[in-house]
Amino acid sequence: MSEAAIAHRGRMDRAGSWRLVLARELADLWLGGKALVLLTLFSILLGVTAYLMATNNELRLIPIKEIAYLMLKLTVAFGIFMSLIIGADSISGERERGTLEGLLLTPTSRRQIVIGKFLAALSPWPPAFVIAIPLIAVLCRDSQVVSWALLWGGILGTILVVGVTGLAMLVSFWSSSNRTSIAVSLIIYLVFLLPTQFPGQAQTGAFGDLLQKWNPLEASNVFLAKAIVNNRSVEEMASWLLAPILFAVLTLGLLFLYASPGLRLEPGRARTRANWGRAASFASIAWLPITLALSFAMTLPTAAATSSESPVQIAVDREWATARTGDEVEFTTLVTNAGSETSPPLIVAMNIINLQGEVVDPEDWSPQRTQSIEPLAAGASIEHTWTIDAILKGDYMVYMVVVPQPAGPESTSVPVASSGIHLTVTPFTRINPRGVLPLAVGIPLGLTASTALLRWRRRRAIAAGEGEA
Amino acid sequence: MISENDAAARRASDPVTQEPILEAEHLKKSYGGRPALRDLSFTLAPGRILGFLGPNGAGKTTSIRILTTILEPDEGHFAIAGISSRYPERIRARIGVLPESQGYPKEMTGIDYLVYFGQHYGWTSSEARQIGWALLEVVGLQHRARSLIGSYSRGMRQRLGIARALVNDPAVVFLDEPTLGLDPRGQQELLALIRRIARERGAAVILCSHLLSEIESVCDDVVILSVGQVVARGSVTEVIGQARGNGVRIQVPLSAVAEAEQVLEALPDVIRVVPKGQGSGWIQVELLDGAPEDNTANNAVLEALIQATIPILTFEAEGSRLQEVFLQLTEEAIR
Repeated sequence: MSEAAIAHRGRMDRAGSWRLVLARELADLWLGGKALVLLTLFSILLGVTAYLMATNNELRLIPIKEIAYLMLKLTVAFGIFMSLIIGADSISGERERGTLEGLLLTPTSRRQIVIGKFLAALSPWPPAFVIAIPLIAVLCRDSQVVSWALLWGGILGTILVVGVTGLAMLVSFWSSSNRTSIAVSLIIYLVFLLPTQFPGQAQTGAFGDLLQKWNPLEASNVFLAKAIVNNRSVEEMASWLLAPILFAVLTLGLLFLYASPGLRLEPGRARTRANWGRAASFASIAWLPITLALSFAMTLPTAAATSSESPVQIAVDREWATARTGDEVEFTTLVTNAGSETSPPLIVAMNIINLQGEVVDPEDWSPQRTQSIEPLAAGASIEHTWTIDAILKGDYMVYMVVVPQPAGPESTSVPVASSGIHLTVTPFTRINPRGVLPLAVGIPLGLTASTALLRWRRRRAIAAGEGEA
Repeated sequence: MISENDAAARRASDPVTQEPILEAEHLKKSYGGRPALRDLSFTLAPGRILGFLGPNGAGKTTSIRILTTILEPDEGHFAIAGISSRYPERIRARIGVLPESQGYPKEMTGIDYLVYFGQHYGWTSSEARQIGWALLEVVGLQHRARSLIGSYSRGMRQRLGIARALVNDPAVVFLDEPTLGLDPRGQQELLALIRRIARERGAAVILCSHLLSEIESVCDDVVILSVGQVVARGSVTEVIGQARGNGVRIQVPLSAVAEAEQVLEALPDVIRVVPKGQGSGWIQVELLDGAPEDNTANNAVLEALIQATIPILTFEAEGSRLQEVFLQLTEEAIR
């Protein structure tokens, strides 16, 4: 082949060489069995968890929304773990096996090689998520939370997996051995997990809030928990998305713009003509303050006004309700200003107490514990619709209170309570073990069978090769 | 099998008259202030086989990695097929390399391995497959093309590695210790293959090896490195000629060693006679300094032994083998 022909082909195919690396890496990962083994382990873990949640007396009392959150949390955690293992092996592993040099000796650019490897390292995440979908869907059958939970679990899981894969590949890039690469990646992962192990008080307040917000793993967990379990809106929780997004963007920037052009046989980065180094170093240093500043900006409190008191009445449209755990119960309140003057601003709050004296956290029962009302004109009324998630069996009394804003620091107002709604919640019956069991057992079995089939084919191929010899 | 006569004949009939395909000028490389390569300059013509020699740590691997664009030199410049070292990706398209510690994916078949690398050089899948089959035939692996590489012996992997190095029809082929770990038959087969590559494809070959006899048998030219610098460069004949030849080694039956010593010590040109290798019958005879071409003293030694009816099992002039030149030059460089 002449130089001109090679140069032509080089120009023609250079942009697509990552596909070759990707195809090779995918074959290695999937036909080699590594990805299938990891997914089989994951499916066993998730299957056992799902089955216990469906059958265990204690676990089955966990509210459906929380089940969806826990299953997603487990799925994302395992997705991150797989990304760490595969990303950490991607470059240092090839160095150790002696296969990197052959690749570096081809005209394919270093960045194309890294792109192909990166995409391959992401490949186990979508199947892991797909494995989780039927189990979550069966466990949370008929619940409206499933599609919402899966949507946000998928989005956040993907962002984290992208970031963690990039991070693990960066570690692999600078590691002299595969063992070092995996160990360092796991230590970084533990450092991210560390703040979540602090005592409760350290996690609350301004410092705790920030500590959680700039930690991409914890911020993602908080977002998922609040959005799925506590019915918080995405707008309300948007600031928690910053850390994972910045984390992913920065690791990708470092990997593709700074590190990959200098990929070499020895650990570390070769000198390159590009001046990305300083930009990347700046970005990595700037990550924390940027995240903190943005977190502050997004958590600035909104101003509230105060005024004087006025007589108001509150009524509810039901006296009692029965529900099964996981059901939603709706009712309406009517707040009326029975006075002759305009009322001060009002706050309507929902309260729920357990009639057997057990502690109830109203936050878990409703997405809208309080609602504010602008000053009501004399004789005017306003109606609100409320939703209660029946999350635990038992006898409850739900009542509403309307609180006029006090006129000032040295005055008070008289809260007015509605009549109660007697709520009876019967035991959890939505999780159908018969629906979970086939999935909990079938998915791991299917994956194990696939792995065994691949191994059998490999043994046969080796035997055939030796036979030919 | 290649005989030394073939190599010598080829060296004699292939004078370096063509334009060099590889030109290296003053290449230098240090690691953390420690110089690994002090000043490497040489040229190589198409179709020639260059032996790259040196003891461990001499800078051979650093040189090969610089010339194959895996490392950047601190100073110096080189060009392959007219392409400057400033364009490493273009150079990589024109070279083929078998690295010393090449690893192979065990789960791939031999033909798939070649197709994969062929595609990296811009061939389509079907073109790369066609080339892959042809190369497997060249290296004698066509019958194992569809076997997993995991089932290959070391020799088969080395041959597959050579096929991979040829997949882009390179102008220069770098082979770093290709016969390492092979049995004698495997070594001979591989050397014959290297010879064919140079002869039939017109590719220049750079062969790194510790086995000096194999370098001597297949190489046209040689570069000897020691502590990061070139201590000898030229055709194999020229480099061997650089060594001082002031002695002979003779092997006689063990029972005749004492008598041979007496006979040889009596000769006027002999400085010293030293029996070597206990119980082996070898005697080293140190002669008075003279021109390397002057064989009179050697003839006198032979004549004296024949007249004394002492059987001569082996007779070798010192400095006539590459190994001796290598040892002499590298020891001098270290001193």
